[in-house]
Amino acid sequence: MTLVLEAAVLGVLTGGVYALMASGLTLIFGVMRIINVGHGALVVLGAYLSFAASRSLHIDPFLTLVITMPVMFLLGMVLQIVFIRPLKTDREALSVLVTYALALGIEGLLGYFFTANYTQLQAWYDTASFPIGSFRITYVYVFGFALCLAILAVMFLVLYRTTFGASIRATMLNRTAAQLIGIDVDRVSAVAFGIGMATAAAGGVVFGITTAFNPGSHYDLISRLLTIIVLGGLGSLRGAIVAALIMLVSEDITAVLISPVWANFVFFVILVGVLLIRPQGLYGVRVRDRL
Amino acid sequence: MGAFLELVGVRAGYGGGDILQGLDLSVEEGSLTCIVGPNGAGKSTVLRVVSGLLRPTAGTVQFRGESLAGRSPRAILGRGIVQVPQERSLFPTMTVWENVRLGAFTVHDRSLVAKRMAAVCETFPIVAERRHEPAASLSGGQQKIVEFARALMLDPSLLILDEPSMGLDPKTRSLVFNTVRDMNKAGRTLLLVEQNARSGLGIATHGVVMETGRVRLQGPGQEVLDNPEIGRLYLGATA
Repeated sequence: MTLVLEAAVLGVLTGGVYALMASGLTLIFGVMRIINVGHGALVVLGAYLSFAASRSLHIDPFLTLVITMPVMFLLGMVLQIVFIRPLKTDREALSVLVTYALALGIEGLLGYFFTANYTQLQAWYDTASFPIGSFRITYVYVFGFALCLAILAVMFLVLYRTTFGASIRATMLNRTAAQLIGIDVDRVSAVAFGIGMATAAAGGVVFGITTAFNPGSHYDLISRLLTIIVLGGLGSLRGAIVAALIMLVSEDITAVLISPVWANFVFFVILVGVLLIRPQGLYGVRVRDRL
Repeated sequence: MGAFLELVGVRAGYGGGDILQGLDLSVEEGSLTCIVGPNGAGKSTVLRVVSGLLRPTAGTVQFRGESLAGRSPRAILGRGIVQVPQERSLFPTMTVWENVRLGAFTVHDRSLVAKRMAAVCETFPIVAERRHEPAASLSGGQQKIVEFARALMLDPSLLILDEPSMGLDPKTRSLVFNTVRDMNKAGRTLLLVEQNARSGLGIATHGVVMETGRVRLQGPGQEVLDNPEIGRLYLGATA
């Protein structure tokens, strides 16, 4: 029982990190109707930027976010303007090709500068732990979870309490109608891509402390992130958070109760079950409701 | 002095050839102009050109003597031209109040927004009555009325309505047409595209019949409605 409880707690903590990474991906889909298969590579890029900054400036990996998040935000806006904005027709299909090319480009550049060897961000709390009842929790998961909660809270405040946030939500719900009431959807799209990349930077630092990574680590990551946003409902932030928690908690508990081999399988059974009942995902909006 | 809105020799399309084939059209200030015609005549394309969603490949579009050519939808909105599109355009998970408030997204004077909100609530009581409910919970006709309310938040000089009665039952349709007529009687200039030609021309001060991307006939709404040839072609043989 203690093991199951420990697995559930760890699942919630790591689920928060995945929720943050997936929130950027689902925001980008919601605003632009594009599937950013390069999002995993952007998380890995964030991890490498933190790695380089913490090494060269001798600062804590979490502190590097003061540099990497604004840098990734600006880079995101540039990437959106250069690679995504020119896609005028067949956006959803073409965006897969363009963002996959982007992922390969990032992987190649990271391989050139950092080699293909595995590396990991170092901090005093990456293995240190503290007791809770009869089990121990590693500090990094708690810090990572707190960071994710703080960033997600800011995102929700911006989205639901500001006029600019309302313009992002409006663009997510009906792009043409948003244009017709004067919302600059190109600007909203660029900012949303920037926010998505800033969250990738934040997710990247936690990913980089808890996992050994190399430039090719994005393949596994993007498959998991895409699965999360499909379960949560494409374009839904709430859905991404709930789905990430379901994924990580179910996987961790399955690993303890049955075997780690079955961990992914159980999550996919949940995914298929939900999609059979709600094809639009847990919080997704059906196309006919959107119109 | 030219017309309020004037399109001359406009050609426009969606990549597979021009839908509008040199269209000439003018809208007078204070009028309710209704465009009718068969499917594919280019009625909705005219509206997309005027609101900046589609750029014409040739011709001129002038509003109050100023060219609208190449201007973005946002810039055209800033000149007082607001369009309510054919399909449902409310943001479904947002409340009725949020939807209407967003109509004044480009207005930064809060007291002006509050004043317009109050005026809109007086004209359309449903906005205040259902303010906390998500837009998706309203019926089709109610959603259309809230779309009108949202459009009025900019106090538009020209309000463009693309088939407002589409998909509505006869009773709701009549409510929507009465609302359109009332807005015109209150002094607002409206450009309306309507598939339901008889109802549209019935309330219009000016009627326009389009065919294959050109204006085939125009005149006072009742005159167009009474034209036997138009009646036979577009309104059913009983006209």
